[in-house]
Amino acid sequence: MEIRGVAIEDTFAEAFTMHAARVVITGRNMRWAREAALKLTGFATSVIGCKCEAGIERELEASDTPDGRPGVSVLFLTMDADSLGKRLIERLGQTVLTCPTTSCFDGLPNAPDRLHVGTALRVFGDGFQASKVIGGARYWRIPVMEGEFLVSESFGRQEGVGGGNFLILAVDADTALAAAEAAVGAIDPMVGVVLPFPGGVVRSGSKVGSRRYKKLLATTNDAFSPTLRAITTSALPEGVNCVLELVLDGLDAAAISAAMAAGIRAACIDGVRSISAGNYGGKLGPHHFHLRRILAPAQ
Amino acid sequence: MSDTVTLTLRDALERELVAEGLTPDRCAAADARQIGALPVFYGGRPAAIGDFFRIQGERAARLRLVGDLARVGALGAGMTGGDLVIEGNVGRDVGAWMSGGTIDIHGDAGDNLGGAAPGASRGMTGGEIIVRGRAGSDAGASMRRGLLVIVGEAGDRVGQRMIAGSVLLLGKAGRGAGRWIKRGSVVSLAPLERPATFRYACTYRPPHLSVTFLYLRKRYGLSIDHRYVVGRYARYSGDLAELGKGEILEWVG
Repeated sequence: MEIRGVAIEDTFAEAFTMHAARVVITGRNMRWAREAALKLTGFATSVIGCKCEAGIERELEASDTPDGRPGVSVLFLTMDADSLGKRLIERLGQTVLTCPTTSCFDGLPNAPDRLHVGTALRVFGDGFQASKVIGGARYWRIPVMEGEFLVSESFGRQEGVGGGNFLILAVDADTALAAAEAAVGAIDPMVGVVLPFPGGVVRSGSKVGSRRYKKLLATTNDAFSPTLRAITTSALPEGVNCVLELVLDGLDAAAISAAMAAGIRAACIDGVRSISAGNYGGKLGPHHFHLRRILAPAQ
Repeated sequence: MSDTVTLTLRDALERELVAEGLTPDRCAAADARQIGALPVFYGGRPAAIGDFFRIQGERAARLRLVGDLARVGALGAGMTGGDLVIEGNVGRDVGAWMSGGTIDIHGDAGDNLGGAAPGASRGMTGGEIIVRGRAGSDAGASMRRGLLVIVGEAGDRVGQRMIAGSVLLLGKAGRGAGRWIKRGSVVSLAPLERPATFRYACTYRPPHLSVTFLYLRKRYGLSIDHRYVVGRYARYSGDLAELGKGEILEWVG
């Protein structure tokens, strides 16, 4: 299969079931909502080193938020259900509670599993906090020096999918970056999916474990590292001098699949030789996104 | 089965009709005959709903009453769920000691709206009451939880002895609003005569009010001007003669 002369390899991305929450942050204006969202999703690229993965899903118009102010929707994922609540309490408490003008709302109100994040954060109010039930949902009003911080009592949890991915194999670094940026641009407007890495792009894709250091969980993906082509078992076709990866997390497999398809199509530009994907032989993750299958319907 | 039970008043009432047992949650499980047999007191004498109302629909948790109900009291008192829509003026004790559901009054309401039973320490403990007209005295008195919205003018002692919950006054209110409250909020969009035992705290934008107002717009179609949604409110803490964890929030622009 080819798209605009770019080979689509006959392989698949292997992804995992994760646990997801959606957090809606609003602010006096988009600047402050974004500030809080950026801090909240900082250092949340991979569960390998960050204990969670998170990203900005989209920016919300004032008409789409519970308090009529501009907002940002964030997806937040962990590998197990217990730690999702813990990470949210830590991060919302340090990054949104602290941020001027912001309020914080549950973005999955219909999810039956509840994480009592606001219940935990309320004690910052040292007994001066108060709650309000509005439309059947309870909110905590926590007094702060600025005025009040408003946070949903609980946040919904649902199963999500983490680790969807594809690799852009290009003739040089400039082309790979341009293709990756185009892919990110195509995925950005899509709902239910986030790209947790910087700018949505990963340059340091990893393999499981290490050839040399037994304690390491992940080390460089030498098969796709151009500088190692001559001294390792390389997976790089001739003429490829740079590889960038997009990693996708989402609320369900359908969102990941649609976003991968849009991203791959956008990434197929002059100078990209092929599109590949990372997997572990299909033995670790239950979600397999076969590149040619997800691209087939719109071909 | 229907989605709404509609009761239409047949003739004008000459005496007080106390319809304490008439709630949407009861109608949800009752057929038309059973609804008609629900007991009421008319002029202090036992009677049945069917003696006064024409009944359409059955087994629905949405109950609609039509007519001049100014002499009908205790509608929705003690209700635990469902939706009660009253199209017309209504008497006293509506929604008193209710614990859930919604009451939407398209007219004026009498005294003790959402209040407590005589001698009881708690008024409504949950649910929502919207009055699109005026409310009599003691609205929301001793309420423990829930939301009470009065679009028109409110009488004296609104929210008196509140334990918690919210009273939103979109119009003017009489004297003694919020007196002796422990917790809870009395929010007023008009200048309010406050008890002397409330103390000014600050002027700010309470973030929960915008959520509340937008909810009321969406859920009940209430027309609430944007300036109130984004406006600043003076916060007065009180009642300092009681626990002092309550508040009066007064819109200042």
